[in-house]
Amino acid sequence: MGLRWFHFALWGGLIAGMFLLPQVVSNGTLRTMIFANYLAIFAISWDVLSGRTGYVSFGHPFLIGIGAYTTAILTKRFDIPVEISIPVAVVFTMIAGLLVLLPALRIRGSYFALVTLAFMELLYQLVQVIRPDLTGGTRGMSGIQTLTRGAANGYYLSTALMLAIAVSMWLLMKTRLGTALSAIGMNEESVRGSGLSTTRLKAFAFLTSAMIAGLGGAFYVHYLGSLAPRALFDINFLFTIIVAALLGGTSTIIGPMIGAFFMTFLLEYLRPVLPGAERYFVYGAIALLLYMYQPKGIVELVKRGFKNLSKGRTA
Amino acid sequence: MLQILIQGLLLSGLYALIAMGFTLIFSIGRVLNLAYGAYLMVGGYIYFWVSQSLGMPKLIGVAVAAALGVLMGVLKYRLIVKTLKGDHVAVEISTLILAVVIQAGIVLVFGDSSKILLPIVPGVINVAGASVTFNILIATLISWAILLGLYAFVRLTHTGRAMQAVSMDAKGAAISGIDPDRINLITWGISGALGAIGGVFFASYTQLSPSMWVAPLIISVAVVIVGGIGSILGTLVVAHIVGFLEVIVVATLAPELRGVFTMLLIIGVLITRPQGLFGREEL
Repeated sequence: MGLRWFHFALWGGLIAGMFLLPQVVSNGTLRTMIFANYLAIFAISWDVLSGRTGYVSFGHPFLIGIGAYTTAILTKRFDIPVEISIPVAVVFTMIAGLLVLLPALRIRGSYFALVTLAFMELLYQLVQVIRPDLTGGTRGMSGIQTLTRGAANGYYLSTALMLAIAVSMWLLMKTRLGTALSAIGMNEESVRGSGLSTTRLKAFAFLTSAMIAGLGGAFYVHYLGSLAPRALFDINFLFTIIVAALLGGTSTIIGPMIGAFFMTFLLEYLRPVLPGAERYFVYGAIALLLYMYQPKGIVELVKRGFKNLSKGRTA
Repeated sequence: MLQILIQGLLLSGLYALIAMGFTLIFSIGRVLNLAYGAYLMVGGYIYFWVSQSLGMPKLIGVAVAAALGVLMGVLKYRLIVKTLKGDHVAVEISTLILAVVIQAGIVLVFGDSSKILLPIVPGVINVAGASVTFNILIATLISWAILLGLYAFVRLTHTGRAMQAVSMDAKGAAISGIDPDRINLITWGISGALGAIGGVFFASYTQLSPSMWVAPLIISVAVVIVGGIGSILGTLVVAHIVGFLEVIVVATLAPELRGVFTMLLIIGVLITRPQGLFGREEL
């Protein structure tokens, strides 16, 4: 699998650093970090599907929303304990992932992106109309059971979840399976020509992505304690996820994590300087410029920087 | 029954007007312009600013909106689409980011609250028990006029035929002496103007708000997917399917379900007939 000692050292350092952080920083920063953690989970989920296989999903809030709504409805309306409701939510999200897979068997490119967008919009309109007594209709739900109390505990939970997902995805992508998924993104025909079943590989990518999205969505809603359809099935939410994955660098694991933290903290640090809506203007403009300058993301920029440095030394 | 027919025709005309610019870019530039909804929004707001805040004549308001639409289309082609050199995913994602930036810009300039636009042409007429505002009637008539004009332009003029050629095969067109870059620029300009004019009418039909760009974008997406690319008449027909579907659902089932069947139509058509009902084979 090509594992080296420095891989373990780097991951170990990151994990230790993240768990020691609450000793150093304030509670406010921790709360920001919690959001960054969840955004990183969503971005990793998006990247497993879209970054690797090239099937760009504009409907990730659809998957996250199914996970969030399932566990919220089960715990709040049927008093089912969280230990059962979260696994059920993940299973439901994976079934939804299979539903999204159906169009992907026939279409690709822009058309696939559009159909996922339609899925998201469909669910947005359905949750408001179908059984509003369960879903809470347009206003959504509040008073959902929360798993943790206090910023530090929420931080530990979200960090553990995020790092567990990141490490397992990183290991998965090191296997031949991960290589095959990336190969689909490069040339699907030649993967089929090599005798691999692209349908099975795609199904695997969709299910994995849906599983992560469902996990993230379920824990996220149990952290927030409330949910509303317009906040969840929203193009702005989708925008944040995609941009986090892209800015960090697709087809990597560390990329979406860096992107998520970069985006969340950029928004947070802009707050004192620009208190109002102009924050989003600057934030979007920075994202657009960075993306236009280097579509491969921050990871690529850092890599090039290192290359230039080492070149400078030998010359 | 008659009421459904009239309302369906009017709404469909508006939808055809909205979707046209989006279809044009998708057919010729092969690019999903996700910022298209933002063009509509900017068109609506500029019209509001010129005609209602400054008190200029309404025609000037529409003209300024259309001019700004052309400018936005051209700038976007020059600065984003051309720079990314046909990387479709990158273009789509950067247009999505651009749409969010424009939305934030609108909030910055005009504020968060929604605004009511005065009808462009005031007055109401009663037809068979249904009250029809002149506003949407004019929108429908203009939509038909623009559609027919565009059809004639694409079919009869040299530039229009060059657009068709670029849409079929950019390399082949270049060999025949057409400059695909110039044609693309013209297409983006026309699309921007159509978007801005459509936005003025759409805004007068609903209201102005910084989040109004999503709904027309979804309608345009539905029309272009179900119609298929490269067909202006297909756009017109499908706009009527979508419009009537919505009016019938509102009248017979429930108003909240108005968008649901449109989404199901998109998903169904994409799964069973990905090239659309009227489009060319090419997937």
